[in-house]
Amino acid sequence: MPDADVILVIDDEPQIRRAVRDALREVTARVDEAANGTAGVDAAATGRPDLVVLDLGLPDMAGVDVCREIRRRSAVPIIVLSARHSEHEKVDLLNAGADDYVTKPFSVPELAARAKAQIRRARTFAAAGTSGPVAIGGLLVDTVNRRVSRDGTQIHLTPIEWQILATLLAAAGRTLTHQQIFDAVWGREFGSPQQYLRVHITNLRRKIELDPASPQIIITEPGVGYRVDQPR
Amino acid sequence: MSRRKSALVWSGWIVATFLATIFMAHTRGAFDQVHVVLVYLLLVLGASASGGRVLGVSLACAGFVLIDYFFQPPFGEFGVGKPLDWLALTAFLVTALVSTQLLARAQAEAEAARRRAVEVESLARLGSETLSAGRAEDALARIASVIRSTLGMAECTIVPVEPGDSAAVRASGPARIDGGSGAVQRLVIPLSVQDRVVGTLRLENATPVRLDMAQRRFLDAITYYAALAIDRVRLVAEAEHIEALREADRLKDIVLASVSHDLRTPLTTIKALAQSAAMQGNDAGAAIEEQADRLTRMVSDLLDLSRLKGGGFAAAPELNTAEDLIGAAVRQTRGLFGGRTLRTVIDLSSPALVGQFDFSQSLRVLCNLLENASRYSPPSQPIELGARRDEDALLFTVADRGPGVAEADVTRIFEPFFRARNATPDAGRAGLGLSIARTLAEIQGGTLTYSPRPGGGSVFALRLPAREVGADALEQSIDSISNG
Repeated sequence: MPDADVILVIDDEPQIRRAVRDALREVTARVDEAANGTAGVDAAATGRPDLVVLDLGLPDMAGVDVCREIRRRSAVPIIVLSARHSEHEKVDLLNAGADDYVTKPFSVPELAARAKAQIRRARTFAAAGTSGPVAIGGLLVDTVNRRVSRDGTQIHLTPIEWQILATLLAAAGRTLTHQQIFDAVWGREFGSPQQYLRVHITNLRRKIELDPASPQIIITEPGVGYRVDQPR
Repeated sequence: MSRRKSALVWSGWIVATFLATIFMAHTRGAFDQVHVVLVYLLLVLGASASGGRVLGVSLACAGFVLIDYFFQPPFGEFGVGKPLDWLALTAFLVTALVSTQLLARAQAEAEAARRRAVEVESLARLGSETLSAGRAEDALARIASVIRSTLGMAECTIVPVEPGDSAAVRASGPARIDGGSGAVQRLVIPLSVQDRVVGTLRLENATPVRLDMAQRRFLDAITYYAALAIDRVRLVAEAEHIEALREADRLKDIVLASVSHDLRTPLTTIKALAQSAAMQGNDAGAAIEEQADRLTRMVSDLLDLSRLKGGGFAAAPELNTAEDLIGAAVRQTRGLFGGRTLRTVIDLSSPALVGQFDFSQSLRVLCNLLENASRYSPPSQPIELGARRDEDALLFTVADRGPGVAEADVTRIFEPFFRARNATPDAGRAGLGLSIARTLAEIQGGTLTYSPRPGGGSVFALRLPAREVGADALEQSIDSISNG
């Protein structure tokens, strides 16, 4: 029986810490709390949590800085609690190393599901690198031989489409910002028009999704980026 | 020159001529006739230089008579002995008169030049004062006082005119100095900058004042400065107003942000705790959660309303595809449809539909339309969400088989707070959805329109700017990967 997972909640509002603790009860019984950014960064370094839930609008530090500070010392998954309609903020946070975000007021099952997904993702990542074919949404992806097939039928992808799919799969369970995908596929030094990314995604979906108008593999996070859920 | 001063000059020169004549008459033997003529010539030149043309001419004539009487034989009487003496006398008179004339003209020109220089200098100074330092109101007062003193008028006021109030100018009296007499008692001059009347200049005096050419020129020039000064007053006031608005806007944003934060924190807690309780089988928890959701929507509506009124919605249009947007809309609204089906109509055989639009804002529009459709459509009928190219636009349509919109309401459904007559009182929201949706469409250069659906129901059409992405542009970005 492995030790119980430790979740660190960084939030200046005691009521929200309480609500998050309640919401995560089915995920773990061990929830640590920090009431400000500085304490949160320290607790993330010393307490070795399996997941950090970070609320924005802390009195002492900007959320982006908290993310960066934690990320400098550890690879612990970070879920951000953010306000509605602030995509810029979300993009900045994801670029600063956050793994996912939940909009306030959050739904309890959703937060719990995302927390579980992040913990699981971190654990499988730590256990072994990805090897062998990955099955996702009826799709079989062979990352070593760069092959994609559905129901035994080979699907031909252009090099750029393959790169995008591989990038999203490697980060399965995390939302990648447009910028992060672009950097991974094109590289920072190349000045190709980033906006074509969305056209490539659309073309890629037409090849791999059953219904491209209702995609199940590559999920759009509006105004932020794209995400592939972790294969189960 | 004052009358008194000119009388002094006149008498001075007459006395000098008198003394010179007496002196030369007493020592007649010592002077040649030429010397005498030269002395008188000097006197005439000196007199016309300091006393003007009339004094010069008078002394020339007096000199003519005196030379003839005292210094030409026969002495002591008018008359000329030798014919050659006539030549000397005539030469004196002509020389004296011509030089007087030339001197007078030169002096007049010098005077005119000096006055012009003064005028130019004072205008230049006024100009720089008007346009640069100090408060604009001070510059106006200064210009008024300069005009008053320069023209000798008792009253000079400069009055700004509100934009568009040209009647005030027309009603205020004659616009120009009457050409004939040039005498002015009351005068109103419209002041304009770039053909736009910005104010009036009013001059008034108890008795008519005669303005010479130079003064009129001065007045013409200075009215332009007055107009500029008024314009500056207006611009300064406008700038202050804009600054105040900006500050108010900033404060509003701060208040809204903090209100929404302050309201969301307890709402987040209430919702989460109620939901946790509900999951453990507490019925009250479910009810509390529902009401918390309702409050959350109200807070959002309130924020949206303030944005709608204050122009706070912003769009950042980027290259996006119709399919991506449709997929996101379907995903986001899938919980809403209950038993209804949502059918997407999009041509997957042709190249991806590309447009220039703000993804999140357009998504909000589509979700709002889908939400409305699911609210009004009968459960048995599918709702259709379509996308296609329509000339230079991407056309998204949401079609339902609901009751449609009454003819009389068609133009009003996009107004804030509008509620359809057939809507239930608690349809949930504040009635801002469609007006926000239309605003969001328009700030991206798109449109949102309604039309009745053939066979019953509504069709809402969102048009967004389409873009062409050539296959070669995509190929190019693919090449860079293959080669890299």
